[in-house]
Amino acid sequence: MATFFKSRSVQLSILGLFFLIVFVPYFINIPQLEWLTTKLMIIAAVTNAFTIAIAVYSQWKRSGRFIREKRRGWAYHIYLLLLMAFMVFNGIVLGQDSTGYQWLLQAVVTPLSSVIYGILAFYMASAGARAFRARSPHAALLLIAGFVVLLYQAPLTGAFFPGFEPAADYLTKTFGMSVSRMFSISVCIGAIVLGVRMLTGKEVAFLGFGEE
Amino acid sequence: MVEPLFTFPGLITGRTIGFLLVILIFVLAIYYMGQAKSPYIRRVPALDAIEDAVGRSTEMGKPVVCSFGCGGFEYWTIAGLSILGYVAKLCAETDTRLIVPTGGSSDSYIVREAAVDLVRNAYTVAGKSENFSEEDMPFLSGEQYAYTPGYVGILVRERPGTTIMTGSHWSEAMNIAEMSNAVGSITITAGCYTSNMAALACASDYVMLGEEQPAAGAYLSRDPSQLASIRVQDIYKFIAIGLMILGLIAINIGSDFIKRLISS
Repeated sequence: MATFFKSRSVQLSILGLFFLIVFVPYFINIPQLEWLTTKLMIIAAVTNAFTIAIAVYSQWKRSGRFIREKRRGWAYHIYLLLLMAFMVFNGIVLGQDSTGYQWLLQAVVTPLSSVIYGILAFYMASAGARAFRARSPHAALLLIAGFVVLLYQAPLTGAFFPGFEPAADYLTKTFGMSVSRMFSISVCIGAIVLGVRMLTGKEVAFLGFGEE
Repeated sequence: MVEPLFTFPGLITGRTIGFLLVILIFVLAIYYMGQAKSPYIRRVPALDAIEDAVGRSTEMGKPVVCSFGCGGFEYWTIAGLSILGYVAKLCAETDTRLIVPTGGSSDSYIVREAAVDLVRNAYTVAGKSENFSEEDMPFLSGEQYAYTPGYVGILVRERPGTTIMTGSHWSEAMNIAEMSNAVGSITITAGCYTSNMAALACASDYVMLGEEQPAAGAYLSRDPSQLASIRVQDIYKFIAIGLMILGLIAINIGSDFIKRLISS
């Protein structure tokens, strides 16, 4: 049975069928299919939830191997497994509103995430310092535009140099907006053509198949 | 709300033109994919650089790090998986170690399973299945900002020769691209939204722009029928540009014909 469902033609047929179930009701008014689409979305969400269990299992197995074989950084894997068990216990047994779970979330996960997000500013600055050099007229133009928009975003600039606002507004609403829309259009077209390749069986990487 | 120019019985109002355009794109793509001759396709430097970058890693004896994004099954991830399949094939053929950090969101678990199958398959096809190690495809975390330091940690410890970052990477992309640059790795990235793409263009050696990433699978396969599908993208881009120009002219002469047509 597993071999049957793993065959490329069966998977592509299922893909084609589900594509029609989702695609048709978006354009054509068929209430029955709309109901089916909603059900399909729920099935996808439930399937996705099951894969979390697979991920926990594979992480447990991988960390267990690290600890057994005393590989580099094995102590961190003990810490990881303990935290994972603690989080699962608090979340499933005591519930997501329990003090332990909420404390882990509010006092550990959220601040740590904020730190990682915060240091993004330094990475942006270092990349900007490397890239924004006026080596050519084009680069100089980019540098000036970037400088105007950057200063406009700084809170004090508006108070001391009101002239930046209309210039930055113009750059954002004309050049910025048009590039953004062109990007969206080209990506949409690319995505539809990718869909055609998937449905015709040319693009199969997402099914776990490579070039044969 | 713009009044549609026409409606079709049975079709949802406002989506008729969209429906026709999607049907047309399907017809054109299937027609061109059936043609035997290979069309001219412009070069995509970021995709051409992948082979050289993997070769560089092989010569230096360093690993290649390739990720397919943090998202669930969406077109960015599917495009990222196509690139991963190609990189895995190159690495398997050249005996280069491939590290694939996975995770990053609650939707990423399911993609990981497909990615493991894909890489394993690439090694098997190359006759090097003994070189495949699932441990080189670690699941870092289902949280974006726990995945980021995990990924950065791999870059610092392993010092890869090449870092290829595709699929839907979000704000963490800058942390990873900059760290990749700091460890002296060739950095090839793909942005999945405009502001991210601009930032990645600063941080990376090569960046894939717009639809280059969804087209990567076809471009890298060198298969004429798949390459032909890229031509359809170009045809549609010209149609989009044409409609924009016509719309601009129409609005300026006081006609909302194009606006109403597109809203039909």
